[in-house]
Amino acid sequence: MLAAIAISLGLVAALTVSLPFARRPTHGTEIILPAYAAATFILEIITAALLFSLFNAQRTRALLLLAAGYLFSALTVPTWALSFPGVFDGLGIDLGLQTTAVLASMRRLGFPLFILAYALSPLCGQAKGPPGRAIGISILGVCLAVASMTGLVLANYTRLPAFMLDGRQVNALWFHVPSLAMGLYGLDIVLLLYRRRALLDIWVCLVLFSLVIELLLISYLGGAIRFSVGWWTGRIYGLIAASLILLVLLSETTRLHARLMQTIAAERRIRQNRLIAMEALSASIAHEINQPLASMVTNADAALRWLARQEPRIDNAEAALRRIVDDGHRANKVVAGIRATFSKGTQERAALKLNTVVSDALRTAAPEAGHWGIALELDLDPTLPPVIGNAVQLLHVLRNLVENAIDAVKSGGERPRHIRVTTRAEAMGEVRVSVEDNGSGIPRAIADRLFDPFVSTKPGGMGMGLMFCRSVIEAHGGRISVESRDPRGAIFHFTLPAAIVSAVEPVPFDVSAQVNR
Amino acid sequence: MTDSLVYVVDDDHSMRMSLDSLLSSEGYTVRTFESAQAFLDAIHPELPACLVLDVRLRGASGLEFQRELGRAGILTPIVFITGHGDVPMSVAAMKAGAVEFLLKPFRDQDLLDAVHNGIEQDRRRRMLDQQIAELRDRYQSMTPREREIMPLVASGLMNKQIAMDLKLSEVTVKVHRAQVMAKMRAKTLPDLVRIVDRLESAIPRM
Repeated sequence: MLAAIAISLGLVAALTVSLPFARRPTHGTEIILPAYAAATFILEIITAALLFSLFNAQRTRALLLLAAGYLFSALTVPTWALSFPGVFDGLGIDLGLQTTAVLASMRRLGFPLFILAYALSPLCGQAKGPPGRAIGISILGVCLAVASMTGLVLANYTRLPAFMLDGRQVNALWFHVPSLAMGLYGLDIVLLLYRRRALLDIWVCLVLFSLVIELLLISYLGGAIRFSVGWWTGRIYGLIAASLILLVLLSETTRLHARLMQTIAAERRIRQNRLIAMEALSASIAHEINQPLASMVTNADAALRWLARQEPRIDNAEAALRRIVDDGHRANKVVAGIRATFSKGTQERAALKLNTVVSDALRTAAPEAGHWGIALELDLDPTLPPVIGNAVQLLHVLRNLVENAIDAVKSGGERPRHIRVTTRAEAMGEVRVSVEDNGSGIPRAIADRLFDPFVSTKPGGMGMGLMFCRSVIEAHGGRISVESRDPRGAIFHFTLPAAIVSAVEPVPFDVSAQVNR
Repeated sequence: MTDSLVYVVDDDHSMRMSLDSLLSSEGYTVRTFESAQAFLDAIHPELPACLVLDVRLRGASGLEFQRELGRAGILTPIVFITGHGDVPMSVAAMKAGAVEFLLKPFRDQDLLDAVHNGIEQDRRRRMLDQQIAELRDRYQSMTPREREIMPLVASGLMNKQIAMDLKLSEVTVKVHRAQVMAKMRAKTLPDLVRIVDRLESAIPRM
């Protein structure tokens, strides 16, 4: 939009600069005319081709009309240039004095009519039938129309209305054409600016605006004298008009292509990452289950051997069997964790009291903590607002954090071992949960990457637990972080947005109303 | 089998217990450790032993630990066990001299065989080391001149040739030769040749 305004201001500025010389005639510039015509023809043909292919993708009838307009405009150019008095005399072409002007008026009035149709036709209206057929029919129709009209003009070139006095001067009759064309341009501009359906409309307006200036220069300011300075300046505006849409379409296409490439690359990366994550996950699951499995097999072998001895050692066999039971429970815990992570219900959210979840998590961890002589402390904020979330997943996160804390504390020395879990209502409508331990702490080197997959401080750890915690907390709209504690240990914090209890029902958002504006 | 030891290093508590039980049921004396460091602190160098080592370990991997042990001159044969075997890892372990590379869960007999082989290998190596040490002591007991003459005798030279080479009298060479045979406890010339061979392979720059 800004670019369009800037360009139109530039056009007007160039117009005022050229004004004082507008009526000055030039000599021998006829030879430039074929080049000018060729340039216009090619620009308009390419624009039409691009618009047709755009229609092929988008199938809006308006685009088809715009493309047809450009095709029409382009097809009238060759005969107009060929019939120009004094340009192709060397080829023996003489189509009389009036042919060029009549063809020009055809072009002048035809193009804004196409634009008018474009402006009136809905931009979101889909054309029916295969797009290739619609394109074929329009191209054929435009070609036939131009051919028949040109043919008609050429066949009757002696009986045409007298627009011209001679090769350079126009008759008074001519002025009906530019005034009618200006009227049409104006109408198109007003319609397009009023409707302003898409960015393309703005650029079409700019095209029409430069056509208005062209016509102003050629027919009025240049004194309607062919090959005057004003006339040629007008032609330059015509060239600008012919190339504007082309440039816009080309730059848009290039940008879209670049963006598409970026999107494809990003998608490939995401897919790759997902694949790696899946691979890692399956490896981690396999490892987590294989570990107790191996232990069970070895224990069972040992039990059999204890029993098969000459003096069977029932006590040792019994101990081995008991360990098999423990291993079975351990494997089950892994499976339960996987289920908590991936089962269908994990997307379901409900308002829940985080204090209850914390208490549940600590209750399940209590036996192991007791075994290692670790004191579990609970510091719950009774004013804690509820949060919206999935209880199973949040429970799993808390269990993960508490189990990590137990692992960290039990490997430490002989000091009083403790783990404290705190819940607090924070400002800004957030709830904070902290899991604090005085265990071995976190090496500085990996503190930043602790939540990444495959990063672990634990022997045999796959580094998936904290990654799971982070993905769950972030999926709940929260954050998770860790800090080292002085002189030893670590604190894991996570925050979750508090549920707004008296929330108003969300207003249904009408998406369709937002699309086309 | 109280004359040997099996070390088990695995960070998984349950796995450690089960290995302890299995190996104990076959009469082995087992020491279990949670980490490589704990093992290093407690290693008992006098007895022939075998190390059952989990590839995944706290801090360094089992393979790194294997290299570290080699550098530290601890030559205890290693049986690797792993939960997720990949071929390059097992190849690297075997190339570095591991006795066996077993995938968890493994057949008990495979592990017991591997441990048995490991201990036998260690026992053989220790015996060999002892013999070499003994030979070296004998070698040290010789005079410089005798040490000079020994390889010449072993290479099959006659007394006369040796005397010419070293510009000594034949009688002197004969006396030295007898001393060499006596000090190295070689009854015959082939005996001496074998001893020199073994010494050369143990101490390349003799």
